[in-house]
Amino acid sequence: MLELFLENIYLTILLPFWIFLILMIGRFFSVYLNKKLIYFLTLFSSAFGVLLSSVALFNLPSDKILETSMPFMKINDFIINCGLHVDKISLIFALVLFLVSFLVQLFSISYMKNEKKSYRFFAFLNFFNFSMAGLFFSENLFQTYFFWEIAGLTSYLLIGFDYLKKEKSTASKKVFIINRIGDTAFIGALILCSYFIYAYAPNKNLATLSLVDLNTISTILYAYASSPIYEIICVMFMISALVKSAQFPFYTWLQDAMEAKLPVSALLHSATLVALGVYLTVRLLPFYTLEPVFLKLFVIIGIITAFICSLSACAQNHPKKALAYSTSAQLGLIFFAIGVLNIKAGLVLFIAHAFIKSLLFITLPRENEKWNYFNFIVFLISGLSLSGVIFSGLIAKEMLIFNLGNLDTILLSLLSFLCSFYLVRTALVVYATQGLKKERPNSIEMFSVLFLLILNIIFYIYLHKTAQYKITEPFWSALFGWIFAYVLYIKNAFYKVPVLYQLSQNGFYLDDFYTKSCSNFYLKFTDFCSFIEQTYLSNYSFIEKTIRFGITIFAFIENKVMNGVIRLIEKSFKRISLLDLKAQNSSIQAYNAYAFIIISLILLCVIIAYIIIFFLIGGLNG
Amino acid sequence: MNGIFNPIVFYPSAVLMILFAVLAIKFKNIFYSLLSAIVVFFLAGFLFYVLGAEYNAVIQIAIYGVAVPVILGLAVMFTDLKKEDKTTSNKNSFYKILLLIFSIIFVFSLLFVISPYTFDYNFSNSVNSYDVISIFGEKLFKKYVLAFEFVSILLTMIIVGLILIKKDSKDFESEELCKK
Amino acid sequence: MQEITMLHYLFISMILFVIGILGIIFSKHVIKVLISIEFILTAVNLNFITFATFLDNANFEGYILSLFYVAIGAVELAVALYIFYLMYDKKKSENLDKYGDL
Repeated sequence: MLELFLENIYLTILLPFWIFLILMIGRFFSVYLNKKLIYFLTLFSSAFGVLLSSVALFNLPSDKILETSMPFMKINDFIINCGLHVDKISLIFALVLFLVSFLVQLFSISYMKNEKKSYRFFAFLNFFNFSMAGLFFSENLFQTYFFWEIAGLTSYLLIGFDYLKKEKSTASKKVFIINRIGDTAFIGALILCSYFIYAYAPNKNLATLSLVDLNTISTILYAYASSPIYEIICVMFMISALVKSAQFPFYTWLQDAMEAKLPVSALLHSATLVALGVYLTVRLLPFYTLEPVFLKLFVIIGIITAFICSLSACAQNHPKKALAYSTSAQLGLIFFAIGVLNIKAGLVLFIAHAFIKSLLFITLPRENEKWNYFNFIVFLISGLSLSGVIFSGLIAKEMLIFNLGNLDTILLSLLSFLCSFYLVRTALVVYATQGLKKERPNSIEMFSVLFLLILNIIFYIYLHKTAQYKITEPFWSALFGWIFAYVLYIKNAFYKVPVLYQLSQNGFYLDDFYTKSCSNFYLKFTDFCSFIEQTYLSNYSFIEKTIRFGITIFAFIENKVMNGVIRLIEKSFKRISLLDLKAQNSSIQAYNAYAFIIISLILLCVIIAYIIIFFLIGGLNG
Repeated sequence: MNGIFNPIVFYPSAVLMILFAVLAIKFKNIFYSLLSAIVVFFLAGFLFYVLGAEYNAVIQIAIYGVAVPVILGLAVMFTDLKKEDKTTSNKNSFYKILLLIFSIIFVFSLLFVISPYTFDYNFSNSVNSYDVISIFGEKLFKKYVLAFEFVSILLTMIIVGLILIKKDSKDFESEELCKK
Repeated sequence: MQEITMLHYLFISMILFVIGILGIIFSKHVIKVLISIEFILTAVNLNFITFATFLDNANFEGYILSLFYVAIGAVELAVALYIFYLMYDKKKSENLDKYGDL
């Protein structure tokens, strides 16, 4: 039974792709008119993925790795494979992906009811599932890179779904461009790694960068490379993961992604796009563990991101923006967990965050609409869960702080405080701006929301067995944060803490820094380039002058030398012809003289030729 | 010593001949030049004789040395001797120099041609003058008799032709006169 | 004193020939021109005879050719004199420059 599921796990990748093709090519045959078919196909693919991956996950032995590969591209003896790599980690990520995407798709059925061309949206969702599942099950890093790029493209398409609205298209463009940094770092690291393995490793098959061989590859690189190639490769992989997961220097794109629709945000922020960085980091742990500096870097970057983004989230008036900052902060915590090599806690944090964050996004009201009581309550419950007061968040925080020092405990407690603070504040801001209504929500929406909540609770129950409930600092700090925020904002939802407010509202000016320094620098650089081009490169005066100088020289030569020669010839011919004219003056004696001169000349020429020939032959004969 | 190789015979006659030839051209008076031409022709006949061609020498002296100057002198008699040539122009000096240069070139190139380096000499002169006369007659009346006859016919043709042309031109002149 | 060779005779005839040519070109008097022509003929005769004497022992064909040459020269002289007579009748001058429209 397990064999059957494992062997057919590739269907979880290909089914969304087929449905994407059906929806996109089928629009020529008016498939999109049958909306029920679209909904059924989309939900079926996700449900199928959930079924396959969950059965495989719960039955797969923890040390077993299923790997199949076939050559995709051959260049002499350098082969790029494509295939499947199924183990616990990939199955966990895939299960979370399919669960969240199933519910989000269910939610978006009701959400996108009145939108035009919603079939395209569902096609993109399927394509997104395809890219994500393909990445999680990919056999080597080249394949990972392929799906990585597709995921970037799909996020661009999903965020810019309403491409006619200018803010959304610019936001999608910004997301795409910032993601290119990470993609470039990724492919650069891949090429470097593959090249050095191919050049120095005894086994050329290692150059395919199969995930199974990553231990060997990292050891070889660490041992053989005398130059800082190993460090460069690690840093580039790190950059690609950090960009995708919206960490400290690159987190600005996630706030722009809030322009997307609610289900898209729920999907991107929770389980999928930002999870790629985590997934890559977990996969490449053999690289980082060899050099502890990188793990420390992860810790530092995670903490910095968590603090900056938490503080920034405290001052946002737009709920989606606040939640986006919160996502960055939570991912920072996950990277912190990976940095201290607490992988289990990292994964638990990731799963809990995935469920809770998608729930938070789903329960948000639409623009210019009142908030349901039901959604409001669910939002608060999930907020409590995320900040670590109840349910899975509590246990995840505890697992994270387990075996850590005092300083880290204090830091994490502070983060929990901030987390609960900004969540309450966001809820209150939304309450203040849009108000509440007693209307019952759509049954489909309610189902998906409840399902996600139940998933969260199920996860909590699953974790409850291993929990010890000994570490209480984050719990109390989070509770204090709730109460503090409630006390601070219950009367005035827009109360501003004096100094910190400006700083946090603008995200510590990182985005402004990028726009002002990088893009301004770029603009100035382009201005400088155009200036150089206009004044120097496309300024042909020097060449013109050179050509003119040459022309004057040539004119001088032509006038004075060549024309002089020609004139000389002309004059001499004139003189000769005048002489000739004199000779032709019907005087018989002139004719005689003429004939005599010519005959003597001919004689002279003949004799000179004779002498030359004579001496030549004599010289030749020796 | 044979006369051919004797420089005492050769040099005076050659130098005199060249000298008188130059004088014949240089003299302004036509009679002087005629007289010096006679000297040149006589000296040429003398050289013929020295070379062993007595018959040629005789004919040379008879025709060139006597007959031709006499005829030319008769022709000069027709012309007006008192008229003097005043057509000596400075312009011609350049052409004179040019022609002299070219004549020197001519002389030197011909010298190259006849020089012993390019010309194969195998000199042998064993026939005496009597044999020469007999050979001369034999050739003239056996081998070259046809050419001899042609020359005689040419001479008669000249005589007759001159008379005829004279008549024609006179007729032409008289016709012109009549037209006037 | 050096013996006289064939080269000397040829040289003499050549000098005479050149003098004749220069005389033809330079002299303005018709009679002088005719004399120069006779010089040329004489030089050629001398050449013929020199070659015949020095190189042609058996046949002496140069002598006979020079004989014919003398005859041809006489004929030429007769024609030239007659032309001179006619021209002098027309132009009343013995200067060769005035005979341009011959």
